[in-house]
Amino acid sequence: MRKLLFLLKKEFRQIRRNPFMARAIIAVPLLQMLILVPAITFEVKRIDLAVTDYDRSPASRELISKLSGSSFFRISGAPAGQAGADQLLLSGDADIVLIIPDDFSEGLAGIGKPTLQVLADAVNATSAQLGWNYLVSIVRDYNRDVIISSGLAPAAIPGISVSSRYWYNPDLNYKYYMLPGILVILITAIGLLMAGLNLVREKEIGTIEQINVTPVKKWELIASKVIPFFIIGLFDLALGLIVGWIAFDIPFEGSILLFFACAAIFLVAVLGLALFFSTMASTQQQFLFIAFFFVMIFILMSGIFTPSESMPVWAQQFNYVNPVAYLMRINRMVMLKGSGFQDIARDMVALTVLALAFITLAIRAYRKRA
Amino acid sequence: MEKEKVIEVKDLVKRFGAFVANDHLTFDVYKGDIFGFLGANGAGKTTAIRILCGLSRPTSGKVTVAGIDAGRPEEIKKRIGYMSQRFSLYEDLTVSENIELYGGIYGMTMKEIRPRREALLERLSFSHYSDMLIRSLPLGLRQKLAFAVAVFHDPEIVFLDEPTSGVDPITRRQFWEMIYETASRGITVFVTTHYMDEAEYCDRITIMNEGRIEALDTPAVLRKKYGTETIEELFVKIARPKTETA
Repeated sequence: MRKLLFLLKKEFRQIRRNPFMARAIIAVPLLQMLILVPAITFEVKRIDLAVTDYDRSPASRELISKLSGSSFFRISGAPAGQAGADQLLLSGDADIVLIIPDDFSEGLAGIGKPTLQVLADAVNATSAQLGWNYLVSIVRDYNRDVIISSGLAPAAIPGISVSSRYWYNPDLNYKYYMLPGILVILITAIGLLMAGLNLVREKEIGTIEQINVTPVKKWELIASKVIPFFIIGLFDLALGLIVGWIAFDIPFEGSILLFFACAAIFLVAVLGLALFFSTMASTQQQFLFIAFFFVMIFILMSGIFTPSESMPVWAQQFNYVNPVAYLMRINRMVMLKGSGFQDIARDMVALTVLALAFITLAIRAYRKRA
Repeated sequence: MEKEKVIEVKDLVKRFGAFVANDHLTFDVYKGDIFGFLGANGAGKTTAIRILCGLSRPTSGKVTVAGIDAGRPEEIKKRIGYMSQRFSLYEDLTVSENIELYGGIYGMTMKEIRPRREALLERLSFSHYSDMLIRSLPLGLRQKLAFAVAVFHDPEIVFLDEPTSGVDPITRRQFWEMIYETASRGITVFVTTHYMDEAEYCDRITIMNEGRIEALDTPAVLRKKYGTETIEELFVKIARPKTETA
């Protein structure tokens, strides 16, 4: 135990003397929060809409002005025909092309059936779908206006009106949704990279051999690498949270204590993994490759962008051993919903099991001899 | 008088795949001796020293260090000091912080470390360097300090792996004075080198070539046996024919 204190003293002295570390500890959370939180949004706005109007009637002009008046669409062109429309889609100058056929106003007047044609660039399926939905709802509004003004039907058409309230994030603010997730990414990156690189660097320089030839115990050595970065991780989490409060006015519904307790368990898991990876690597380059590979998978599968519930079953099963997935869920529940200990107990237990497993793995895999 | 053996090695073999780095080494090292382990680069010296220090596992053979079998490396580690070929003090720690760290790892308390550290720095006339980062010291000083740190906890045996490679002749001389001083404290010194002139400073030497021990005795006896003036000539005589056909 006393040996561990000497090792810790050494680690903290080295961290304190490394000007890069001090800067990274402060700058990484600030930059990540200030850049990623506002940048990552799923809101689809200002869709580029091109309209080919073969009808050129007051009716078609009214429809176009309704579309351009909405905040979702920006009229980006008026191609003369089908070929021009295709070109705009190909070049990316239009996301959606609306074609108003020349019999549109006649159809509205009751001669035939009015039709519209919509072509959507669906490379990004989500934005194509959203754009389509916005367009359809505007056309439906327009349709209602036409019916009412024509007097064909009474002004009060009975219908079901759905009024919705969005719980936990009433304004559908994507920042609120992303920020808890970005905090997870922040401490994952800090913990995994800093701790892993630290140990591999000692391998590269050769200082680790001098440590290996001493009677120091493996758990003491691993603990001396975990504890400093555990503290740094929690510090950065607090810093990130403060930035979230100040810059984005993020709500915090749940218990801060619970939030930090979960993050602490998570950090032990991530640091265990980092040190396990570093036992597999003999150079910093190798470590970075391994770490980058796993961090990418962990983050993308964690449910930060897409709900993990809609992933294939095998992916959901993978998430049982993905610490990032647990904290991603826990953070959002605690911060936005105010979930309490009982609501997240299962995830917390699972995360604790992972943390113990990864730390054990790191200690066992560490070789004091080659 | 039968001297006490502190290292006993019998039929030590270390293979890396098909490559045999140590081919049936057998030797003993006596307490308080300066034991020289000589050989060209790649002769298998470092491999052997790493096995003796518990950093590497022998493929086969019997190895006992400080009375403990090589199968219990952690017990051996408590009783030895080691200075590796690659410089391994922490460059971003000061002289006194490095001493403190290694003293602490070997189980000393701050109370025990402080007076010993003062005495050591005094003896090496390093006192004015004590708060300087290792990074800012010249190589010769660093090597001497690394050696001092390796014996700071009073081990039974200290292993020095090419401690003088790359340092100037004056520092080498001073380094050997430190080795003598250490041996006179009763600490057995096991030193590898490829400087043949250093062999003369040892009590006993072995000459390794291509993983095998070719000669083992005191420098004087060996010179006589092979009829050469210096160990260097002797070494060339032993190593030359084989390396040329290799």
